[in-house]
Amino acid sequence: MSEKNQPEEHAPWEKEIDEIHTRRKLAKQQGGKAAVDKHHEKGRLTIRERIDTLLDTKSFQEIGEGAGVPEYDDNGKLKDFQPANFILGFGQIEGRKVIVGGEDFTVRGGSPNPAGLRKSVYTEQLALKYKVPLIRLHEGGGGSVGGTGNDKARRPLGDPVFSESRFVPLAETLSSIPVATAALGPVAGLPAARLVASHFSVMTPNAAVLIAGPQVVKRATGHDMTKEELGGPQVHLASGAIDNLAEDEADAMNQITRFLSYVPDNAWSFPKAIAPTDKIDRCEDALASIVPTSRRQPFQMRKIIEMVVDQNEQGSSFFEMSRKYGPSLITGLARLNGESVGVIGNDCLYYAGAMTAAAAQKMRRFVDFCNSFHLPIISFVDEPGFMIGPDSEAAGTIRHGTAAISAVLQSRVPWACVQVLKAFGVAAQAHFGPDAYMLNWPSAASGALPVEGGVAVAFGREIAAAEDPAAKQKQLEDMLAASQSPFPRAEGLSVHELIDPRETRPKLIHWLQLALNARTDAPTPYLTGMRP
Amino acid sequence: MQIKSEIAGSVWKIIASEGATVAADDVIMILESMKMEIPITAPKAGSCEKLHVSEGDMIGEGQLVATLKI
Repeated sequence: MSEKNQPEEHAPWEKEIDEIHTRRKLAKQQGGKAAVDKHHEKGRLTIRERIDTLLDTKSFQEIGEGAGVPEYDDNGKLKDFQPANFILGFGQIEGRKVIVGGEDFTVRGGSPNPAGLRKSVYTEQLALKYKVPLIRLHEGGGGSVGGTGNDKARRPLGDPVFSESRFVPLAETLSSIPVATAALGPVAGLPAARLVASHFSVMTPNAAVLIAGPQVVKRATGHDMTKEELGGPQVHLASGAIDNLAEDEADAMNQITRFLSYVPDNAWSFPKAIAPTDKIDRCEDALASIVPTSRRQPFQMRKIIEMVVDQNEQGSSFFEMSRKYGPSLITGLARLNGESVGVIGNDCLYYAGAMTAAAAQKMRRFVDFCNSFHLPIISFVDEPGFMIGPDSEAAGTIRHGTAAISAVLQSRVPWACVQVLKAFGVAAQAHFGPDAYMLNWPSAASGALPVEGGVAVAFGREIAAAEDPAAKQKQLEDMLAASQSPFPRAEGLSVHELIDPRETRPKLIHWLQLALNARTDAPTPYLTGMRP
Repeated sequence: MQIKSEIAGSVWKIIASEGATVAADDVIMILESMKMEIPITAPKAGSCEKLHVSEGDMIGEGQLVATLKI
């Protein structure tokens, strides 16, 4: 072979190879410079910039980079190329493999073009196949009345009857792999549905999550509202559709990274422990006095949680989720001697910590999530009972509450319960998982009804007949409060230990080590049956 | 800045008076809800421009209770 001939041997494919590079370049242009500039002017990153912010440097391995809508001239030469407006690929977060995808708002406002739609529906299938955590970064509308932009005359309409619905893999992901999502601008229709099909979702202040946008709403219902009024953070953090607010896009990515750090890659593995960042026997003196002796005075359950779980260089390992939804219940993830745990607690600053319909749904969802990813649950209890009154009845609290109790008592993960103060009524059952490790603080009080509500009802006549009804009521309340003391329960081994609150952390850690060592079953997805 | 109550209840005690300076986390008023005393605090330092409720008033979730000047 002569040297002269060598270039000729390679030449036949150079044109095609050049075209691959040209197309890659065109794909990177996204919706074009003007559209990208406009997007930046709104203070928002493009989907490619978002992916780069989220993933470890240079770890993105794109899938379907060449997918798009081409335009050819009469000679069959590529004139222009509109890339798929959904970007998809694998990458790494803190060294762990993940799959990430999101709409490209700069092309058709994120409303799917044909290639974009295909890539978006493939996301869940890929995540399920490779069993890695899935992150979706959403910004875009759903389908438009005009369809996905195909030439309708030249294609069959609709999907074939034998095709699987795109919602099947979407639903399956939740029991198989951790899913974290973000709303980083307006998200409507199908992207909004995919946004909430997640274990953890976060939205930025300028994001809005909508079933349908303002114009459609105005025509159909007459409500003249902005998209922010319809589906801004103040609406959807309280509605429970979205878990957390992020200060900005960088914070959204940080929160997703933090969420993922507590969960395993998939339902077939246990969460990984990290090297402990805190002492096992750190006993905080403040725990001994944080609960007021007056039952009228509230206290900060979050401070208790933060004093008990691991502390690290950033502060507390407690990562709260869904704070604004059903706020009488606190839910979050934390580390205990380096192990991942789910944490729940009542917040008495909201209706004395009573279980509302929203708090019950929050509880059920969180407990199912912990069971799905094998997270032991630490429960800090101050439950006065179900929320009462007309609003609570109208919200169907009793059904949602009973469903929460069912979810808790069908748990298969280890439970530890620290009864800080109240555990009253049926709702208290939602705080004690099966075969739980039971610790009581000296402030713990249990019974059918809280003293304040119960005495006035049960002893109504006696109180009314007394010379000094107020004094009589107080006397009865004090008597009843004494009967709710934790000491008899400790004597009867109704709890494992009645403890000095300062001992909470070491007690929980010793129990957790035993509970984790005792696991014999291989981790599998958690599938539940019918609930109330 | 509008201060809204996150819970329903009654106004048990007003602590800050109109025109008074408040520091962040200072208690503006105390509500009674489910037999407990629940403080409403100033999210930021400022002055109490207007109180929209009086002691004994029943209030609902999301109701405006005070306006602060930040």
